[in-house]
Amino acid sequence: MTATPTAARVAAVEPGPELTLDQRRRFIRQLTLPGFDEVAQRRLLAARVLVIGAGGLGSIVLPALAAAGVGTIGIVDHDVVEPSNLHRQTIHTAVDVGRLKVESAADRLRALAPEASVVPVAERLTPENAGRMLDSWHLVVDGSDNFETRFLVNDECVRRDVPLVWGAISQWGGQVGSVWRSPEYRDLFPQPPADEDVLTCAIGGVLPAVCAVIGSLMSSEVVSLLTGTGDALLGRIAVYDARRARFRELEYGPTEQPAPDSLPQPQTEENPMTDSITPAELAAMDKEGLQLIDVREPWEVELTAIPGAVNVPLGTIGSAADELDRTAPTVLYCHHGVRSERALQHLTAIGFGNVQHLEGGIDAYSREVDPSLPRY
Amino acid sequence: MADVLVRYFAAAADAAGREEETVSLPEGATTGDLKRLLVERYGDEMARVFRSGSLLVDGRATRDEHVPLGARADVLPPFAGG
Repeated sequence: MTATPTAARVAAVEPGPELTLDQRRRFIRQLTLPGFDEVAQRRLLAARVLVIGAGGLGSIVLPALAAAGVGTIGIVDHDVVEPSNLHRQTIHTAVDVGRLKVESAADRLRALAPEASVVPVAERLTPENAGRMLDSWHLVVDGSDNFETRFLVNDECVRRDVPLVWGAISQWGGQVGSVWRSPEYRDLFPQPPADEDVLTCAIGGVLPAVCAVIGSLMSSEVVSLLTGTGDALLGRIAVYDARRARFRELEYGPTEQPAPDSLPQPQTEENPMTDSITPAELAAMDKEGLQLIDVREPWEVELTAIPGAVNVPLGTIGSAADELDRTAPTVLYCHHGVRSERALQHLTAIGFGNVQHLEGGIDAYSREVDPSLPRY
Repeated sequence: MADVLVRYFAAAADAAGREEETVSLPEGATTGDLKRLLVERYGDEMARVFRSGSLLVDGRATRDEHVPLGARADVLPPFAGG
């Protein structure tokens, strides 16, 4: 893959009203930046940005966004400040120990930027509340501390076509990138690692400076995406290694589909079926001999699943393909129909003859066919 | 033989004791062949990286063991912390 500079893209935020004299004075040092103009500042002032996590990364991102003039800032975190946080989570102070992080962070932001609207949300983001919590934001920043949240935020942002800036840290290193449609976080990390393979800050430790470096880059990404100034980290990530004092970049693209000419030809000459079926069509289908494959993650299957389905997470479909029946009528489904379409393209490309995927995923199936299936 | 530039990030660089190297493999070698070679060379620590992390071939992540290698491979662990 070669580097393709992306044209600057601007998040769908309309510039707010003309700047007042006070605002001009306040933001003069960035208004004079080459390529950053008054319209860019008005976009920031009109922007609604949701920051997940008021920890090490949030401590850097949140004040940076408030100071730069982002008009509305949401903060999601359900934790309270602990003494072990203070070496890196510098938005909180010693007197805040025991307080909700969102309250302590909100106080700091209001002091920095009295005109900003700050929305503290002391809840953990879950599949059940993600739809409500991520609604109505122009951009989402993920500085959370677990993979469950990271994958959930990515999936929701991709589905909603909302730009996402994510950063992650561990010990001496950090990673930062942005996602807008494609490629996404799942293209870099196809599936969440097992819990026993994950090193948290509590177990592995973390250097405060790494939070500051990665958090600063994240805030720069937010400004870039909201105002269209410069190329954001789309299709590439920046990786920082404090022990070796080195930045490296890694370019990535949508998860590889096998090249068509290197693959066995489909076993049927013609496939008269369309690629997708509706929930009603699936409900009416003869289930005898049907291979129903759920390509979601195991934790999603625990929440709800269509009876009779086997679980093959999207990230493993390539290696699991040998164990599936290539000729049986096959229906793939996921949460909303994005991952299942990708799985369909993969299986079709490697010679599966009779594959369809469920439009709108299990969410649509629950709404239209079987309300007894919980939605998330 | 085909040469592949392998770049190691974070825990992968720690396991390998280097940030990158050129690895020679037989023509037609796959992702599975590369993983086996690196685990043989760098032991459990590298095996652990492969369990949780990603292998990208010319910028495309894959968990499939049968993907032909390209010019570059990246070994990247995910970070959870924030």
